[in-house]
Amino acid sequence: MTTFDLLLQQTINGLSLGAMYSLLALGFTLVYGILELINFSHFNVFMIGSFVSLFVLQSFGLSGQEVILTGVPLAGVLLVAFVVTMAFCGGLGVVVERVTLRPLRNVKGPAAMITSIGVSYILFNIILLTVGADSKNFPNPMPAIRWHIGEATLDFRVLLIWAIALLLMGTLYMFVQRSRIGKAMRATAQDAEAARMMGVEVDKVIMMAFFLGSALAGAGGLIFGLYYNFTSFIIGFTAGLRAFTAAVLGGIGNVPGAMVGGVLIGLIEAMGGQFIATAWTDVIIFSILVLVLVFKPAGLFGRIAPNKS
Amino acid sequence: MLTRREAVQLIAMTAAAVTLAGVAAQAADAAIKIGLDLSLTGADAESAARIRNGALMAFEELNARRELPGYTLEPLILDDGTATAGQYDPAQAATNARKMVSDKAVVAAIGPMMSGAGKAMAPILSQGNLATITPSSTNPDITSPKFAGEYRPAGKAIYFRTVTTDAFQGPNLANYFADKLKVQSVYVLDDSGAYGVGIADAFQKRAEEKGIKVLGRDRLDPKAADYTTILTKIKALNPDALYYGGVSQAGVKLAKQSYDVLPKVIKGGGDGMYSAEMLSAAGFPAADGWYATIASPHTTEDKVADAWVKQYQAKYGMAPSDYAITAYDAALVIADAVKRVIADGKDVNRDTVRDYIQTAKVNTLQGTVAFDANGDLRDRTISVFQIKKDPNYSADDMVHQYHYIGVAPQS
Repeated sequence: MTTFDLLLQQTINGLSLGAMYSLLALGFTLVYGILELINFSHFNVFMIGSFVSLFVLQSFGLSGQEVILTGVPLAGVLLVAFVVTMAFCGGLGVVVERVTLRPLRNVKGPAAMITSIGVSYILFNIILLTVGADSKNFPNPMPAIRWHIGEATLDFRVLLIWAIALLLMGTLYMFVQRSRIGKAMRATAQDAEAARMMGVEVDKVIMMAFFLGSALAGAGGLIFGLYYNFTSFIIGFTAGLRAFTAAVLGGIGNVPGAMVGGVLIGLIEAMGGQFIATAWTDVIIFSILVLVLVFKPAGLFGRIAPNKS
Repeated sequence: MLTRREAVQLIAMTAAAVTLAGVAAQAADAAIKIGLDLSLTGADAESAARIRNGALMAFEELNARRELPGYTLEPLILDDGTATAGQYDPAQAATNARKMVSDKAVVAAIGPMMSGAGKAMAPILSQGNLATITPSSTNPDITSPKFAGEYRPAGKAIYFRTVTTDAFQGPNLANYFADKLKVQSVYVLDDSGAYGVGIADAFQKRAEEKGIKVLGRDRLDPKAADYTTILTKIKALNPDALYYGGVSQAGVKLAKQSYDVLPKVIKGGGDGMYSAEMLSAAGFPAADGWYATIASPHTTEDKVADAWVKQYQAKYGMAPSDYAITAYDAALVIADAVKRVIADGKDVNRDTVRDYIQTAKVNTLQGTVAFDANGDLRDRTISVFQIKKDPNYSADDMVHQYHYIGVAPQS
């Protein structure tokens, strides 16, 4: 393998990781932007998304790696899987907000954040106790089409994953920028009090942020399963932590920042593994994070928020 | 004809009599508790279930045929796997060791399954002078006299094994790679656990001595999902073989992803890759072709164990692993020790049982089990397997999907 092919392959690997981190980072950023809350339950909403999509695929008779679909059936199955998973996770996010976080909305200090850690563990244990402790084989219905660029290979499923991730992120961005409720979200993020006075229904906006963030996490969970062909109750922590790091790196609260941050973390992980060692992955990721924050405390694209009173 | 009331009274009296008889029978038999520590939660849960069933089957048989007159064996099952670790958790293992030591009725133990748990448990068991027999943990440090201060501070050997150690398991597969598969170059990975690092080191050392070029060595984070980065790096180095030291949590993902990235490379591991999880979670075709070793003779397809395997399968609805047999054998060794203690008219307690385990010479399914002064098994057989799909059996059938190749060369 030439150095160029190797770098190309690692870039492909890094972008695939990055697509997942970006989807997950968006959930952290949407909620933080509005509530200034780090929502740790997001880790395991992602994990539950992978299980929901596993059940959906199994209900289509897909299990293991044997069944391969193409064309319309593939598109149909994936569409249903994404819609059901995203709707379920979005709903789960709304329920988590309504039941556990809203009552703490006006409580000062870290109570809400600690609660979200607790919720995260509850979700984690629900899956552990109902589905079991072992890793599950995740079906891969996509045909094994590969393109070779030099000695680097690009899988059809990787390309599809990128396309889906881009589509979802683009849609979210347009939604936040253009739609009425998107405008309300941005207004609430700037100043909730003033937004309320202008007639914005803040509760609705917060619910929307949780729904969108959690739905994207669900999509991330499905993509995780399709890419790695396994899932387990434990997958939320490492992916969640890296995605959270991505959100901070991009400037937490900033939607394009989370997308770019996710891709950067993915690429750093791939290149760090290539040129240093995978054993050092976390050290490399967090060293870069610290360096960025020292020089740009608000992250790459973040602004220091004006003091909210 | 009985009236209704009379009938009810009769039933009640019969029931009471039966219950009393039962209580009387139980009161006559003193319970001897045997601790059983396995990683029942997390990535190795399915393999752990097979080992647990092996031990439980032994207890049931021994009790049913009243092997120990006046005593019944009662397992105390403890789980050292935790949800946050996703596999064995040394902190939980230490807690379990304390639990066993503080329960006076526990006179011996079986376990732990994992060396990482064993390292945490051994010092505590040593202080309590509670002997344990591990059916599967193979890290040599725990029983080595070199580390006696660390793992048996009280002096006596308390960590016995019905398997041999990675001092043979790692090197012998290196021998096999060099001599039989003519491997010229290898990349070595481990899962950063006590077992994984140890066996990968031992493999690497012997591989170098055998003239295999070690192209590199890296460490996997078992909680991370993505190994394509390291696999791409390995692909660029173009090795003949990949060796992985570690257990299922990282192993399953490695098998899946290396199937895509390194389809033609020879891949092998230790007994961490001899697991039900390789067959179910990694699954076919990813698991196909992997080599794995175990630190005991291969018994499940031996004539001696024929009836045993059938019984196990019927009882638990799954095929046993060889480590289900080493666990069964561990229970036999403990029962034999207790029996001899009773025969010598001594009190059945931890001290006597430990001393009699030390001098054991028991005919078991895997052959004669006897220990050296450190607690290590005298038999040092390493068996080599290769996973080959046999469509006639269920995909997670460890007897038929792991194809037995033979005993690995010792040098």
